[in-house]
Amino acid sequence: MPENSALKAIVRRVAEIIIDELKLEDVTPDTFNPEMDLVDELGIDSMDLATIALVLQDEYKIVIDEDDYPKLKTVRLICEYIEEKIAPRH
Amino acid sequence: MTMNRPKTVRSDQTKFKDLLARPEVRARWEKVRRYFFLRESTYDMTNRCNIRCDGCYYYEGDKPFAAENCSPEDWRSLMRAEKARGITYVVLAGAEPSLAPDLLAVCYAEMPLGCIATNGLKKIPATVGYKIHISVWGNDATSFKTRSAKNLLKKQIENYRNDPRAVFVYTFTRDNIGEARDVAAELVAAGCKMTFNVFSSPVGYAGPLRHNAESLLKTRETMMALLSRYPAQVLFSAYNAVAHTSDRGLNDLYRCSYPRCNPSQDIGLGRSFRQYRTDLNWDRSAACCVPDTDCADCRHYAAGSAVVTARLYRHAGDPDTFASWLDYVDTYLAVWVMGYEKGENLCNKIIHPPRAAAG
Repeated sequence: MPENSALKAIVRRVAEIIIDELKLEDVTPDTFNPEMDLVDELGIDSMDLATIALVLQDEYKIVIDEDDYPKLKTVRLICEYIEEKIAPRH
Repeated sequence: MTMNRPKTVRSDQTKFKDLLARPEVRARWEKVRRYFFLRESTYDMTNRCNIRCDGCYYYEGDKPFAAENCSPEDWRSLMRAEKARGITYVVLAGAEPSLAPDLLAVCYAEMPLGCIATNGLKKIPATVGYKIHISVWGNDATSFKTRSAKNLLKKQIENYRNDPRAVFVYTFTRDNIGEARDVAAELVAAGCKMTFNVFSSPVGYAGPLRHNAESLLKTRETMMALLSRYPAQVLFSAYNAVAHTSDRGLNDLYRCSYPRCNPSQDIGLGRSFRQYRTDLNWDRSAACCVPDTDCADCRHYAAGSAVVTARLYRHAGDPDTFASWLDYVDTYLAVWVMGYEKGENLCNKIIHPPRAAAG
């Protein structure tokens, strides 16, 4: 299913935040694989994830409950989580 | 049309970037986050000890009945396997690691960051460059009563005076609170660094060392007084005192993240932590830094170092709470990591542990 432009923008911004916070040198927002498992493949731990979650909270004005951290395994899942949080409810 | 944005940032919660606005807070955050790569596991080195202490957690449960694996090559293989699965920090503990110096050397050669918990009676060779935590349970009269060791503090100081690896860990029991001032004065006079632990009962222990509400309060007051009197030698903070002397234990306050209490294997300690016995096996259902401790009574400094630190999210709600958390992490790193120097505490107020935020 093609992703909408809003989701694409979130994917890019989340990748930028992760690269910036973790000081990753061998990846760019363009080359960051949104399906990559952040724990198994990138090796991030709970403290890294907590830091990223705090920055994302600021960025998107959302609350990310600490019980939800295990859901945030890939950039794609993070973005879907954010999208759901910021989507207007009618 | 009104658009509701569910679960937006609560109006009373400061943004993370605003928490980092004060230069000294930002600097401390940058200092501590460099160590977020630390991933620990713990290892019983031997089932032998040269003293017997009332309330010793090691000799509770079936740990001491595990066979001893004394093969340096097996330990080397274990350390390499641990490194391969992402462990970056080792805690070498029970029963008395100084009795297995060849194994300590092997571990250090393979894994450069770690700590040894010892009673300090036998000096660990200087070539083993781990932090060394020397357990102090009161003055010499009390040590003789509860640990059957004569002149223990004198021998500990002789062995570790001016040793940059050494941190003396004063464990407050219900019985020894009044002795802490004199012991601290002696340690400080000898140029030793110290920190504090709170006796945490082994499962089923109902002896005289177990704390009650009154003794916890007295312990907190004594910790604060000693921190105020010796700020350069006492590695501690106001928030450490609060976290470890609350009437609620660490698990109740922060929800312990060690496997014994935490079934999740998604991320963090629940995923990576193991507690190896002397036969180099481990059991997930018993894995924590102080196995066989009564979780409801756990206020142990080693547990708190991981459990409180892991709760960054909860402490990022307001400036004082965040500064207190930074003090706690700064203390933990100074106590556990060679070469890490503790900074001046950022918050000297009594800040109560935050509850988990509602989602």
